[in-house]
Amino acid sequence: MNSLLTSAVAGLSAGGAYAILGVCAIFNYRLVAVVNFTGAAIGAAGTFVMVALYEAGFPLAVDVVAGVAAGALAATLIGLVMTTWFAGSSASTKAAVTAALLVGIIAVGLRLTGGQHPHNFPEIVAGSAFRLAGVEVTRASVLTIAISVLFTVLTEMFLARTRMGLQLRALSQRPMAAELIGIRVKLLALCVWAVMGAVTSFALMVIAPLRSPDFMSISLLVVPALAAALIGAFTSFRAALVGGLMIGVIEGLASGLDAFSQYRGAIPFVVILAVLLWSQRGARWDEAR
Amino acid sequence: MTLLEVKGLIVNRSGVPVVRGIDLVARSGEISVVLGSNGAGKTTTLEGLSGIIPASGEIVLDNASIAGASAGKRARAGLRHVEQGRTVFPEMTTEENLKVALHPDASLGEAYELFPELVQRRDVKAGMLSGGEQQMLVIARALVGRPKVIMVDEMSSGLAPVVVNRLMSGVRKLADGGMAVVLVEQFATLALGIGDRAYVLRRGQVVYDGGCAELARDPKRLHHLYLGDSVQAG
Repeated sequence: MNSLLTSAVAGLSAGGAYAILGVCAIFNYRLVAVVNFTGAAIGAAGTFVMVALYEAGFPLAVDVVAGVAAGALAATLIGLVMTTWFAGSSASTKAAVTAALLVGIIAVGLRLTGGQHPHNFPEIVAGSAFRLAGVEVTRASVLTIAISVLFTVLTEMFLARTRMGLQLRALSQRPMAAELIGIRVKLLALCVWAVMGAVTSFALMVIAPLRSPDFMSISLLVVPALAAALIGAFTSFRAALVGGLMIGVIEGLASGLDAFSQYRGAIPFVVILAVLLWSQRGARWDEAR
Repeated sequence: MTLLEVKGLIVNRSGVPVVRGIDLVARSGEISVVLGSNGAGKTTTLEGLSGIIPASGEIVLDNASIAGASAGKRARAGLRHVEQGRTVFPEMTTEENLKVALHPDASLGEAYELFPELVQRRDVKAGMLSGGEQQMLVIARALVGRPKVIMVDEMSSGLAPVVVNRLMSGVRKLADGGMAVVLVEQFATLALGIGDRAYVLRRGQVVYDGGCAELARDPKRLHHLYLGDSVQAG
């Protein structure tokens, strides 16, 4: 029983990261109407900039700031592509473009980072924060959960209470009408992308040492991120937050059970499938009647 | 005072010329009514002027050229386009719809003074308002942006006559406050009743440029302007 609890708690740090990525996915979708497949890859780019600087001997604080800035810059560049050439495209076209960009980023990222070549990932926060029912909760877990909660709360407050938040909501609902009342649509959209890139990069820096630290594995964290966003129906930040944490905990539990540990990677897919089936329950019920 | 001067405006849709070299003027305190049958190029004219679709020709707003500027820049320069279809931000409340467009020198009171009906609906999501209320909201939203020129497209579409009359008096108030208004409208009689200057478009060209009162007094001529030689033939 204690080993299961240990596994579940171990899943919290990954869950925190999934929650941040999921909230960022909703942030992107709600504000610039893009289902973004590149979120985790952008974070991976920022993370590997941090690692490269760390391996070159720069102080960790400098590495982290530079990595976050690189993630923000990469996201802004993708945002520039989306707002310049695909602003008027359908949601499915935009999603397809980001999926294509994901493949491209992974290919370039693997080339630049040496594929499976091992890197020296620094632990931004190391050690134990406290013990819960006899199980150690790491500082990384506490930090990722704190960031995900803080980002969710701040985003909700920002959108509800600030003029820029109002403008972002207007932009997300009717981009052309927003432009026709003088809102700087492109600038705001690029800000959304930059914030998403910065937050994602920092979250992945925290959990990268706990994962398979190669560019592809980190980039494919987009799967649990989108699963968390789906739990939030791409609208609710809070549901995505809870969903991301839940997926992390379930993954942790699965890794503690011999029969399931080799299938833990499939858990986000199972969650996606379950949410999609659940979302169709009304139609099936009507059909059955 | 002339606030908007347009010369030789040409607008294409999918490579097909829809607006073919029209001249138009909007003056402070006046309503310029743009009339014409379906497909005459009225909406396309406004979309070309506001920058929604590319256009060529001279567009001068308050003595500064805005031709080639983006839609956002034109809006910030003082040209507001109230699109047809009541483009409220549906998930935001009435008051939030107004706040998002509020110019630093304007107040929400101006919007509520123009359309007091909106006061009681200030906390209701705009998507839940009636069609007439939504139309009032988008006009009021344009007003609080403190524009120099407001262009309103087909505001009466699908609304009850009593609501249309209410909107028409609201638009007249805007002009009386010193703005220049360009009003595109299918209901010619109503529009001519509140307008000062009329433009009748046919196949993308201006076939009448003159006073509203003069045209309102001569329905036969208006009919002919709408339909062209087909009236004679008929």
